[in-house]
Amino acid sequence: MNGIFWETAGKFFESGIFVYGTTLLITYALLATFSIIAVRAYARKEQSYQADPLLSSPLAPGITVLAPAYNEGLTIIYNVRSLMTLVYPKYEIIVINDGSTDNSLEQLIEAFELVAVDFAYNVKIPTQPVRRIYKSSNPAYSQLTIIDKVNGKSKADAVNAGINAASFDYFVCTDVDCILHEHTLIELIKPVLQEPKRRVIATGATLRIANSCEFDQGVMTRMRPPKQLLPRFQEVEYIRAFVLGKMGWSLINCVPNVSGGLGLFDKEVAIRSGGYDFSSFGEDMELMTRMCRYACDNGIDYAIRYVPRTLCWTEAPVTVRIFGRQRTRWARGLAQLMHAHFRMFLRPRYGRMGMVIFPYNFFFELLAPVVEVGGIIFYITGAILGWINWPTAILLLIFVYTYSVMITTLAILWDQLTFRYYKSWREVAYLCFTPFMEMFLYHPLIVFFSLRGYFFFLTGKKSSWGNMQRRGFQQRTPGAAPAN
Amino acid sequence: METVFDFFMSIVDRFRYAPLVIQIAVTFTFIAVTLTAIAYLSILINRYRSYQREKKLAKLNPLIDDLLTEHILMNEALYNEETVEPVVPLEVFDKPVFSKKWARQALINRLTMYRDNVQGAMGEQLRYVYLQLGLDKDSLKKLKSSRWDHKIQALAELTNMDVPLADVIILPLTNSRNRELRATARHAYIKLSKNEPFKFFDVATEPLLRWDQIELFRIITTSDRIAIPNFAQWITYSSNKSIVSFCLKLVEHYQQLSAVPAVTKLLDTRDHYLRANAINCLGKLKIESVEDKLISMYDSQPHNCQVEILKAIGRISSGKHVDFLRQEFLHSTDFEIRKHAAKSLINNQWAAEALVQELVETATRENKLILKHCMNPLIKF
Repeated sequence: MNGIFWETAGKFFESGIFVYGTTLLITYALLATFSIIAVRAYARKEQSYQADPLLSSPLAPGITVLAPAYNEGLTIIYNVRSLMTLVYPKYEIIVINDGSTDNSLEQLIEAFELVAVDFAYNVKIPTQPVRRIYKSSNPAYSQLTIIDKVNGKSKADAVNAGINAASFDYFVCTDVDCILHEHTLIELIKPVLQEPKRRVIATGATLRIANSCEFDQGVMTRMRPPKQLLPRFQEVEYIRAFVLGKMGWSLINCVPNVSGGLGLFDKEVAIRSGGYDFSSFGEDMELMTRMCRYACDNGIDYAIRYVPRTLCWTEAPVTVRIFGRQRTRWARGLAQLMHAHFRMFLRPRYGRMGMVIFPYNFFFELLAPVVEVGGIIFYITGAILGWINWPTAILLLIFVYTYSVMITTLAILWDQLTFRYYKSWREVAYLCFTPFMEMFLYHPLIVFFSLRGYFFFLTGKKSSWGNMQRRGFQQRTPGAAPAN
Repeated sequence: METVFDFFMSIVDRFRYAPLVIQIAVTFTFIAVTLTAIAYLSILINRYRSYQREKKLAKLNPLIDDLLTEHILMNEALYNEETVEPVVPLEVFDKPVFSKKWARQALINRLTMYRDNVQGAMGEQLRYVYLQLGLDKDSLKKLKSSRWDHKIQALAELTNMDVPLADVIILPLTNSRNRELRATARHAYIKLSKNEPFKFFDVATEPLLRWDQIELFRIITTSDRIAIPNFAQWITYSSNKSIVSFCLKLVEHYQQLSAVPAVTKLLDTRDHYLRANAINCLGKLKIESVEDKLISMYDSQPHNCQVEILKAIGRISSGKHVDFLRQEFLHSTDFEIRKHAAKSLINNQWAAEALVQELVETATRENKLILKHCMNPLIKF
């Protein structure tokens, strides 16, 4: 009796996993197809455009760049100077000092000749109190505003304060430690201006790992894949997620998220949606979901667009401890989001968000680590009890392995076909060999930290954002020849 | 002894009688391995081709640059604006490499790049080289291509070189279903049409996107050979709202006071976005005579039009309506309205210095902050 039960349960589990796995693999295949169409269309369009019409145009819409900073004293001056290299006719930079306990503010005041001003700050989204607002007395830094506020224990609270002070209809949210391409604002606003029918409520772009790149005065001068293994895994993961995943979703207007590292947002919709949720651990995805929900509830025919070009470089964690903290937070954010907005799940009223993005995120993002661990436990149990047909099991394992390598390799190919970011063959080869190790070395970490995030969410464990320990970017030595 | 063939057949047999799951897994494994191998090969080939292309161009571009620099850019006879006879000996381009398509395209790219950066006699000489070497035929051939990106490339080259095109070729493209082609054709039409560069305003059925407007604005405002018409004709008669909105921006840029009656009529339009654009235009033109009408219509307007009215009164700065601004500043519950009223009061300060001073002393804490914000020269917005 007991044996029949286990056999039936095993067959049920196997069939379920088969359907689940097949759907996931088909989805990846579809995304790969959609993404190459979208990436090539972008590249062909780009050939017909020149950047200069916008650069000098009085018709260019204004953009506010928001950069929250907490204890970034090591690099803050360098990073703000980097933001000032952005090329756009009408923009302002708002740096939000989120109650730093180091000397970030003092450094800013001294370097940019700041003075406190009587600023009419309008609280459209509630935040922790703003202490002072500073402007530079030097006309060269006239576009810079610094908000000094009480620490809100989250990036969301800091960005919300920036949104309240923003003057323009669009804002770009980035991290102060991110290095942006000088044409970031032009590239991000283009999809908004080129959209014929829908209201573009957000635009995202590809992020890359900055760890081994070279920078000169805040400008990226030489792009390299990270030399260390953990950041290189993340580079490959970013290429897969942005170039293949988000570009694929973008083609069918189903972008699930605009990264917190870099995104342009419609300020009116963001404010009406309530701004960033300071209690969320995945505040970027949460805001995007709420903006979509607001748009659907109010009959706004919206679009979220993605740009496959790399516009932002960010420092990736190099130690497993910091990496684990980051991924645990992301997983917890995803669980929070699913819980908070579960009413959208399979509701036709919420269009593609409710019928495509939400089910995909639920089944293939949230549940994937749980299913994987379930599968491993089932295998181990089966192996102990002698139920495993080893040739079949090994064949299936080879299948999953080769398929995952193929998907990542295709993402690298799409990237390489369109943009030749890396100078040497060796660098591309470096990147191409990384997917072969990903399944054994990197993926188990992701699964573990995801489950830890879910556990923290379920148990309501108190955890803070944690401070990412910066190492700073690699600077080109003056006079040194560019490396090959 | 088992041959390779027997071994292969035994595998085929095993596959044939394997369960469905295994058959699917083996098939997809085979596909995945093949595609991965193809992907690597493609990366390799793509990089090799790019490398070869760059190598060829690295040799050819300096050669073209040397020729153009020697005969055109360094030619002192071309340093004035006067028209001169062709000075470039075409035989210098008589090299075997220029019989190849890629090299001719490289030459076109170089010529157009130089022409973007020089004007006058030098620009004319570049055009002469382009035409005399028959490169316009290459561009016209691309214009006949079925690929929209080739058409766009051709239009950009012909426009750059001022090669006239018949209306019958270009006008249909200004209404193409492809957005990029449509936009490029409109730009080309404005630059190349000798008689009626704005004719497509009459025939445009599709809306002008904001990006199109930015590109058109640049072309219109930077081309010195375009005769600027009175944009009032489209403001009055066009049924395409985006054309009307764009014309308002051109009226403002060219300070076309003759279009003011047409713009004023737009204040009665039902579309409040267009109405806001018209108010904005009148404010930037500093039309004092419309102030009374703006104030009389203020209360019945939506928020965006109210903000534009306040801005317009600030820009006109006649000093006649400071009481109205004071009223809005003190009594509006909307923060934006109060801020714009305060800004306009500051713009009218020459007529209301005492009033502004009184408000600074007596206003509530928040209103005082708004006033100080608007008065601070360090804060732009």
